[in-house]
Amino acid sequence: MAAGLLAFPACDIVEFGSNGPVEDPSRDEELTGEKVDVSAIPADVRKVFVLDEGGMGSNNATLDFLRVSDGNYVTGAFKKMNPSVGAGLGDVGNDIAVHGDEVWIVVNNSGIVEVLSAKDETELAAIQIPTPRNIAFDDKYAYVSSWAGAYATGNYDMGYYAITDYKNPKGLVWRINLGTRQLEGFPVEVGYQPEGLAVQDGKLYVANSGGISSQLPPSYSYDRTVSIIDTKTFTVTKTVDVQVNLKNVYADGAGNVYVTCLGDYWSTHSGLYMIDRNDAVKHVSDYVSVSAIKDGIVYCIGTEDEFDWSGAPKTWKAWSCQNGTKSSLSWPVDATTPYGLCAFDASTYLLGDAGDYFNPGNVSLYGGGKKWTVTAGVCPGHFAIW
Amino acid sequence: MRLTAQEADTLASAQVFSVKARPVVRPVEEMYLPSQVAAPAQVAEVLRHFTGVQVKDYGGVGGLKTVNVRSLGSEHVGIFLDGIQVDNAQNMQVDLGRFSTAGIGTVALFNGQKSRRLQTAKEYASGAAVHLNSARPVYGDGSHGQAKLRGGSFGTVNPSLQWDKDLWKGVTLRTAAEFLTSNGRYKFPCFDTTLVRENGDIRSLRLEAQLFGQSQRDDWQFRAYAYGSERGFPGPVIRRALGFPFSAERQADQDIFIQGGWNRDWSERYATALRLKYADSYTHYDTHPEKNPMALPYDLHYRQRSGYVSVAQSYVLANPWSVDLSTDLQRNALDSDVGQFVTPRRTAFTGALATRVAWERFRAAAHLVYMGAWDCFDSPDAGGWTRENGYRDAWMPSLSLFWSPLEGLEWDAYAKRSYRLPSFNDLYYSQMGNSSLVPESALQFGTDLRYTYWPRPWYWEARVSPYYNRVSDKIVAIPTSSQFRWTMLNIGVVDVLGMDVKAKAACQAGPWDIGATLRYSYQRALDHSTPGSQTYGNQIPYIPLHSGSLTLSAHGNGWSFAWDSSFTGGKWSRTANTPDYYIEPWSLSDVTVGRSFPLKAVRESSMSKLVVSLALNNIFNTHYEIVQGYPMPGFNALLSVEYKW
Repeated sequence: MAAGLLAFPACDIVEFGSNGPVEDPSRDEELTGEKVDVSAIPADVRKVFVLDEGGMGSNNATLDFLRVSDGNYVTGAFKKMNPSVGAGLGDVGNDIAVHGDEVWIVVNNSGIVEVLSAKDETELAAIQIPTPRNIAFDDKYAYVSSWAGAYATGNYDMGYYAITDYKNPKGLVWRINLGTRQLEGFPVEVGYQPEGLAVQDGKLYVANSGGISSQLPPSYSYDRTVSIIDTKTFTVTKTVDVQVNLKNVYADGAGNVYVTCLGDYWSTHSGLYMIDRNDAVKHVSDYVSVSAIKDGIVYCIGTEDEFDWSGAPKTWKAWSCQNGTKSSLSWPVDATTPYGLCAFDASTYLLGDAGDYFNPGNVSLYGGGKKWTVTAGVCPGHFAIW
Repeated sequence: MRLTAQEADTLASAQVFSVKARPVVRPVEEMYLPSQVAAPAQVAEVLRHFTGVQVKDYGGVGGLKTVNVRSLGSEHVGIFLDGIQVDNAQNMQVDLGRFSTAGIGTVALFNGQKSRRLQTAKEYASGAAVHLNSARPVYGDGSHGQAKLRGGSFGTVNPSLQWDKDLWKGVTLRTAAEFLTSNGRYKFPCFDTTLVRENGDIRSLRLEAQLFGQSQRDDWQFRAYAYGSERGFPGPVIRRALGFPFSAERQADQDIFIQGGWNRDWSERYATALRLKYADSYTHYDTHPEKNPMALPYDLHYRQRSGYVSVAQSYVLANPWSVDLSTDLQRNALDSDVGQFVTPRRTAFTGALATRVAWERFRAAAHLVYMGAWDCFDSPDAGGWTRENGYRDAWMPSLSLFWSPLEGLEWDAYAKRSYRLPSFNDLYYSQMGNSSLVPESALQFGTDLRYTYWPRPWYWEARVSPYYNRVSDKIVAIPTSSQFRWTMLNIGVVDVLGMDVKAKAACQAGPWDIGATLRYSYQRALDHSTPGSQTYGNQIPYIPLHSGSLTLSAHGNGWSFAWDSSFTGGKWSRTANTPDYYIEPWSLSDVTVGRSFPLKAVRESSMSKLVVSLALNNIFNTHYEIVQGYPMPGFNALLSVEYKW
């Protein structure tokens, strides 16, 4: 791995923020990692990117990728391909998405959205956003949810936004112009601690968690809403009540939007909810610890033992949902802490295991049974297919 | 020159029965501060030089400083002020950065079992202990005082004042005040650039009044203490978008306590000690989201209160055999406005039965300690964890031996099992609590061989101390099926095999005392929690395999010079001992120069004097981190001027 790194002098690296062409599209080919069998992965997949969150305050978010052409699982690719960014990827990688030939990574506690070339992981831009959480795209914009509702008041006098309560602020959604890779216009206020978002039919759905608000006086309550934003006017047009502590949002391309809920950890279970094209909410099923969408089907792994805090091993069950209909899956799950899921089809998937959250976790490929396991970074939680 | 000094509690009582005067267990390290011309200003600085001790330091004057002895974990190290524990039921970590050495006589470290007559039961119950004892004024010495001004790097200004006054027969009043301010700014390397640490400033004020009384049969002291501070937390050094600060977090503390102790010899055989304490600590923590767009909006208040009473009895059965019984009762309460808080209350009883025999050459002590804690909390419909009221208890036996086969050759050994209760955070913290935890246990074996040889004017000392510790049922935070929710479990096992070595040479040459001390510690602290896991058998975080120091000193003609170089070997910040988490070794060198000027004699027994000292720390400007992400200061200089009368 080190040899691959040394082969590229720092001057080759595309400078911070520049939009210059990528000179050599295959410069990461010299990066090698653990060799794995990729025969189960569909042929149209070039790479699978894995974002390891790292620990809060530890500055150890890392980017791994699985190169399907030669079956290499490469760890720490951002640092290897961008040695000029001395601080590395940053603190807490919270979301990753592929858009065209670009990889977008949301680095939560660094306040940075990274744009990389999917071909060789070199930095194309680094966009500054306060406490960014998740990202979604349409043709013109990247939308980023953010917890920093208090940002616009106080000493950071941006002059364009005011909130009523900086002690318990609502969150924001920012818009990044895909052409300029710069923030455009004012952010829009949504609910408390917004998380996942997805675009469908000109509407942006934002899941509000209230994860911090639930610990703050006077109400100590979770948010339970999805904010629906009209992407043309960039204003909230509707707020839909779903369940407490919402997390991921998936659009199935057929008019339905799925929202996962983390529950409140003691009386309300985690689960999956569907919002149809008329914004009617339907409860699909309880027990979602990790989830992913592929070809309009949502795949979930959960446990009925989620309120068992004794540390005893848990029984994991997998299921899928298409058009609001749940089907059971007989997926094997062999992980201490399932933390991220990447589904390729109804039987092939990558599962990230965070282990003890403190030391490096691992990623396994399942296809029928467990094919292999490789050591990843700390908390491998997010996947993106290129 | 004298680095060992008898503690106040052994001086106090009568000399008729030798068992009362002969210690079975002596501290492994002890510093008598009044004899130092240029004593360190902070207790943490003193402890940093003791063998087997790791001071975990987040950097800067206001940064948290905790102490870990022989890899037991800081929760197992009791900090005692005049025999009464300074504790923190919330997280069991005592910030040593808050203790200045002003008014302190001795700082002593015990690795195994402290065993003195009339000590509190809690003194028997910690795995390792640091004892801070007041420098007692002597009645009849008249009025004394010290006025000191210290300052220098980081904008530090630290004035302090202490005044002793005889009140009435045998009773002396001491009043003391100390103020500290520092901007906490220092340069540190931040990835590809150099930045200045921001938001690490502190202001603190300490006010104290103490009464000391002594008569033929009684010996008592009383202390009223108030400490207030307001400080910033500079935060970990991470990748941060330009224009966003690392941190705007602030914390304000207000601590008050009153404590007292009364020892009485009822007869030549029977004596008692009564100790009392009431403490009230208030903390306000605010992340200031309006100043830092990256902050999570927390604005939290905590209040801890505790009441404590201890009765100790000692009886000489037949010289040199004595028996002690100590019984302590404590109540702790924690209140907060954090979400789903359950306002825990704990009532804890500690009882210790100890017996000692002490001939001149052979001494032995056996101790049996019982600790029981009843917990309750009063918010039955908040939170999602099991929340039965719990009673936790543990028996802690220990044995200490001392044998001196030859003049100058001394051997001692101890075997001990100790427990620490789960903290309130372990049990009830809203994001990660588990009320079914049992106490964390430490099994300790240690031995110490010491040889001293003093053909005047020389003094030679060599000491070798191998030890084995096993920490089991270690309380560890582990994740659960929900990503935002952790739980605490008794799953950790750590085996520690270590050795402390100390060699010392000293010589009196004319008016000069010259000394050299070499210390070395080897600590192999391995994670044995889960067989088959990737971290099984790895070195635990932040414990270096090798560390050591060399101290050279010279005192004479009113001058004092000291050179201290310490080495801390490579270590890891994770149990995964991989290159990504390796912390490079470092060495530090500090120089201290002091000069004492005698002034006119105020009275026969004492001389007033002016002491000027200059501490040059980290003279080679080494950049290092004790905790990953928290850079320590480079070269810094602090000058102090002290007037004593």
